[in-house]
Amino acid sequence: MPDVETRTRAADAASEAPALALRDVGVVFGAEANRPVLANISLDVREGEFLSIVGPSGCGKTTLLRLLAGLMKPTTGDVLFEGKRVDGPSRARAIVFQDYANALLPWRTVAGNIALPLERAGLSKPEREARVAALVAKMGLDAAANRYPAQLSGGMQQRVQIARCLAQKPRVMLMDEPFGALDALTRQTLQDELLALAAEQRVTTVFITHDLEEAIYLGDRVIALAANPGRVVETIDVGLPKPRNQLTTREDPAFLARRHRLFGLLQGH
Amino acid sequence: MSRTLNALPPLLFAAAALLAWWLVTEFRLVSPVFLPTPARTFDELAGRFADGSIWTSLFATLARMILGWLLASLAGVALGAAIGLTPLARDLLSPTLEFLRPLPASAMIPVAILFFGLSEQMAVFVIAFGSIWPVLMSSVFGFGHVSPRLREVSAALGLTKWEFLGKIATPSAMPDIVAGMRSGLAVSLILAVVTEMQASLPGLGRDIFLAQRSFRGTELYAGLIMLGVIGVAINHGLGLAERRLLRWRARDA
Amino acid sequence: MTKLSRGAALPLFILAVWELSSRLGVMTYESLSYPSAIAAAGWAALLDGSILESTWETCQSALLGLALGAVVGVALGAVVGLSRLASRAAGPTFDALRAIPSVALMPLGLLLFGWGLAMEVVVVAYACCWPIMIATSAAVRGVEPRLLEVADALEMSFAARLRKIVLPAAFARIGVGVRVALGIALVVAVTIEIAVNPRGLGYALVLAQQSLRPDVMFAQILWLALIGFALNALLSTVDGGARGEGSGA
Repeated sequence: MPDVETRTRAADAASEAPALALRDVGVVFGAEANRPVLANISLDVREGEFLSIVGPSGCGKTTLLRLLAGLMKPTTGDVLFEGKRVDGPSRARAIVFQDYANALLPWRTVAGNIALPLERAGLSKPEREARVAALVAKMGLDAAANRYPAQLSGGMQQRVQIARCLAQKPRVMLMDEPFGALDALTRQTLQDELLALAAEQRVTTVFITHDLEEAIYLGDRVIALAANPGRVVETIDVGLPKPRNQLTTREDPAFLARRHRLFGLLQGH
Repeated sequence: MSRTLNALPPLLFAAAALLAWWLVTEFRLVSPVFLPTPARTFDELAGRFADGSIWTSLFATLARMILGWLLASLAGVALGAAIGLTPLARDLLSPTLEFLRPLPASAMIPVAILFFGLSEQMAVFVIAFGSIWPVLMSSVFGFGHVSPRLREVSAALGLTKWEFLGKIATPSAMPDIVAGMRSGLAVSLILAVVTEMQASLPGLGRDIFLAQRSFRGTELYAGLIMLGVIGVAINHGLGLAERRLLRWRARDA
Repeated sequence: MTKLSRGAALPLFILAVWELSSRLGVMTYESLSYPSAIAAAGWAALLDGSILESTWETCQSALLGLALGAVVGVALGAVVGLSRLASRAAGPTFDALRAIPSVALMPLGLLLFGWGLAMEVVVVAYACCWPIMIATSAAVRGVEPRLLEVADALEMSFAARLRKIVLPAAFARIGVGVRVALGIALVVAVTIEIAVNPRGLGYALVLAQQSLRPDVMFAQILWLALIGFALNALLSTVDGGARGEGSGA
């Protein structure tokens, strides 16, 4: 039965197609044609993986994430989502911004913010409320559900933003230094919560950070960028066992070796 | 204890001001035609409340003022949203509006009389024309300064233009809109008084105008006190409404 | 350039429709006149000097009122700004007085002074003194504490402290209040003239309407809009200059 065979092969090809891909992407801002922000970047984000992208400030990390989100277009090259060219933002790709305080609607309560993506999904009110309640519980926001963002700590606000992204049931979650503005303890807690969520929801995640250890601790793979112009210098498979642990993983010789390697690479440039 | 102590200086000051008024009139430093005694003025006011005649004037003035203000607020917010959010509307409308804005609203009274005669509509038109500017200006600012991050959030969530307007832009501009409406209400009281005098429409403005014409000083001062009370009341009322409406801005609640 | 032409499109369109429809007799606006007649009337009023004369009368009362209001406003603002007690004690009474719409004082002004310059100046002054008072008290409160310590060290009297330290230091911010008040002065002066006082631009406007000369009336309104526009433009250039000066310091 040739029909079945071709169909399986097509399905295989589709599942092997990267969730997101950049093909020879370059970005130039304004008149500074001689100083591109990103140059000749090609990379794949695999279906279901957790990809960390790390690099020094000014290497175009945020620009790269905005390209993947569809919030901007590359000057040259292509951005592909599930094999199709990206021509704008989509609900299938959720974004978590670093500046949670600006990204939440200050006039809506925590529950109201999480409900925002659900309001057009054709859900009945009880269904919507149940979904919001489930997300509130999952992110540990029960006590805060009826408070306004300005009344919450930074860590809680970032939880709300992540919950809002999960509410839109994305296939890819794009995170732009989401924990960069948080204190060390809160950051570690949120890192572990995020890993658990990503594993449970099996959502492809691209995580931008300037923190080497964070990149390795969270990632299945780490892509290192260098600046002037922003370009890929190295891609490594992390290969550390999961679930990860703040103490044992970070003391694992393999973890330290990766950290050494990336540190050297980024220093060298 | 400390609250009563805090209330003491303002009460003493107000009492001293009343006392000064009383002394000036008691010793006939000013003719009672020009400045009646406080007692006679408050008697007059109490009398107008007792016979109910003040309510007719009060409601007429308030109704005119609030109608003009509501029309101005609706038009101001709609125009402000259009100008703040769409470059085409801004280019088309804002030069004309910038030219009209400094025009004293009272200068529209003769024009409005041409169109509407000495009527209620004339007054409402002039009140609306004058009180639209603060609402319009602050709405343009509010809608024009929706944070770029929230625009991105809206794009990432795939909100339509109308959803963006209703769920992101309008609430985000609300603090400016409310502040503009607050200034607009003060303007509308001023214009309600002026139009009543000009077109002889019933209300507190006409009352004090007629009182002056027949040299009834007590009525004139009673009317001024009433207008001051309205001014204070609308300011406090709107302040309360503002805090309620914008309670999300408070850090702790 | 395209922005400019877009901005001119709306008024030009309205003027063209207005002019053409009355010229071609599609509609007759007997009470409205039409643009070319308005322009002619405005030109005539400029040539015979009548509009300039009424402009002078209005400016006279606006500026005198502003000056009087500034003196009272700066004095009250300085006292309220320097003394917490004065501010607490007088605040509510001043708030209540400020809440009386200035135009409601027109009948009182008439009662006290009759028609003419004096009543207009007093009512304009009343309207102008509040923003100047508020700006002054804020400015005085914002004076660098170090400067006041200098005054203490030199054992200056209250008057000397006010004259030599506080008012010069607060000068720029008081100026902001005076500029706000200048706009108010013009609006209130014209309003008084329209409503009760037979002088100046406002009265000329009412006279034109009552003598069924809509062309003259619209010409007067256009002139008023031009004055207001010019005043705004002037104030914003002064504003820009002051800001430039501030950033240099």
